[in-house]
Amino acid sequence: MGGNDMRLQTASSVISFARELEGESAKFYEALAEKFAEGKDSFLSLAQENRKYIVQVERAYYGVISDAIEGCFAFDLEPGDYALETTLAESAGYAGALSQAVRMEETLVRFYTDAAKQSESLMADVPRAFMLIVRKRNERLVKLKSL
Amino acid sequence: MAVLEEPIKGVPLVKNYINGEWVESKGEIKDVVNPAKYETIGKVPISTRDEIDAAVKASQEAFPDWRRTTPVARARYVFRLKNLLEEHFEEVSRVQTQEHGKTIDESRGETRRGTENVEVACGIPTLQMGYNLEDIATGIDEYLIRNPLGVFGIIGPFNFPFMIPLWSAPYAVATGNCVIVKPSSEDPFSQLKIAELVEEAGFPPGVWNVVNGGRVVVTGMLEHPGIQGIAFVGSTPTAKYIYQKCGETGKRVIAQGGAKNFMVIMPDCNVAATVPSMMTSFFGNTGQRCLSGANLLIVGDDKFYASFLEKVADSVSKIVIGYGLDESVQMGPLRDTEKKQRVLGYVESGIQAGARLILDGRKFEIRGDYPDTCFLGPFIFENVTPDMKIAREEIFGPVMSVMRAKDLDEAIDMVNACEFGNGHGIFTSSGKSAREFQYRVVSGNIGVNIGIVAPMAFFPFSGMKDSFFGILHTQGKEAVRFFTESKVVIQRWF
Repeated sequence: MGGNDMRLQTASSVISFARELEGESAKFYEALAEKFAEGKDSFLSLAQENRKYIVQVERAYYGVISDAIEGCFAFDLEPGDYALETTLAESAGYAGALSQAVRMEETLVRFYTDAAKQSESLMADVPRAFMLIVRKRNERLVKLKSL
Repeated sequence: MAVLEEPIKGVPLVKNYINGEWVESKGEIKDVVNPAKYETIGKVPISTRDEIDAAVKASQEAFPDWRRTTPVARARYVFRLKNLLEEHFEEVSRVQTQEHGKTIDESRGETRRGTENVEVACGIPTLQMGYNLEDIATGIDEYLIRNPLGVFGIIGPFNFPFMIPLWSAPYAVATGNCVIVKPSSEDPFSQLKIAELVEEAGFPPGVWNVVNGGRVVVTGMLEHPGIQGIAFVGSTPTAKYIYQKCGETGKRVIAQGGAKNFMVIMPDCNVAATVPSMMTSFFGNTGQRCLSGANLLIVGDDKFYASFLEKVADSVSKIVIGYGLDESVQMGPLRDTEKKQRVLGYVESGIQAGARLILDGRKFEIRGDYPDTCFLGPFIFENVTPDMKIAREEIFGPVMSVMRAKDLDEAIDMVNACEFGNGHGIFTSSGKSAREFQYRVVSGNIGVNIGIVAPMAFFPFSGMKDSFFGILHTQGKEAVRFFTESKVVIQRWF
């Protein structure tokens, strides 16, 4: 008896994981801002947005969590599927860094989409908060690709 | 996965909170044990009769001024408490896990549900309003006022140490009464934390008191002529006793008892969404709640039955068991060894009665290095018949008893044959079946595609049959009615 060691099955573990991902990607954008003056403002604003996203997710979770919803049984995600590549190579140019950011955003979109799909109808407002972030991130992807 | 930091440090001695002061009890001292680690995390007093009498006296003295405090001003105290609870949300949640053993998601859920009652009570200026009619006869008007009564006793159970007293206490004080809360001596820290926040919110001395203890405190409350009413949640035998005693002493009473909830599964249900609901319903809080699913009643042919049960059993067999402060854990321990033994006794009775144990919770793995003292895995019994003890009595543990019915009519008859009427549910995609179930089943709370039928704070926490003794219920408008007396004024002016 007992589930897989590393899988994310509880809401608490998913929220903590989302917090880690947002933190890592915010740091990545801050590093980009430091390295590439031409995109500094955009990158810093993306890092700031990440922090807003996690507040949104936490607000949704802490606002609805109760014994009437399936907090301990709503997810089954493998964290390794959403590992972010956030170390920027010394030699990376602006275009390379943007491609890396696009890949990171795609991974985050996949994470939130999967989490929303699994918890749909089980976690009240939480999947909706995830999908709002997916929408924002898709807009962000368009923007990153245009830079 | 992260194991969150424990908020209770050392082995503190719990004090009583009487008349706005922290008072050391003269009663016997008992250990408070964290059931996951099986270690003592605190000491709790079993307070004396004198101490409950002192709390009643303080409340009686505080009542006249508190009653005269305007509803708007009282609501502001309650609002400050609500803000403090939000500020300390994570801390009080972790306290629950540490002292009770439930998972952190469950504790946060409990904090949210409890805090929502404080939030609803903030609306007391509206909720406590009476009504009036001008000109009941020419020149004569009539109106109704809701008056507070005085002092109330609130007796909490071990399974929701934070939330359950909050089904009552915020409404009691917001309407102008004073309260004495007696937490379970097994997990008193949550109510201690609330009392600290009550103090910080600035409630006047004597309005909100906490007296720790056991039978002596309860008897003291039941017998004290200065207490106007009791709100109790616990087992059915105790609820019945409290109801009787309150009848003898002329107190109003809410006495919520036990349950044996059926989850009826129709063949047209959404299986993918229903399976996780079964997990949380039967095994959430390790089955220690009066809204837990207990009997899984599957309607349909052999093929549907086998396929549904296989999916449930497969998911249940993978439940991660461990210390609730580990965020990956899905099910914590039983509250103590006595409760674990009680569950094992029922398991033995099921086996003896001929039910088939398809998942044996006596064999389990614990995530992390914790003693197995209070832990059990989930159990699933098949071929259970309604006459078996495991189908009739409240086990209060992680045990699913699976039964079958040929159609909805038979299922409803089986549900209605149950002595309890707390939180039965149906899982179906048919509106007709759902309506039929809701209409015919005798139960205070009914779930349609909901595994735990926990009413929100602005609805009453209902109950029928042996699950509830009384008339008005905790939470929302009914709690406001319970904690107030209707005074009707008829007036004319010459």
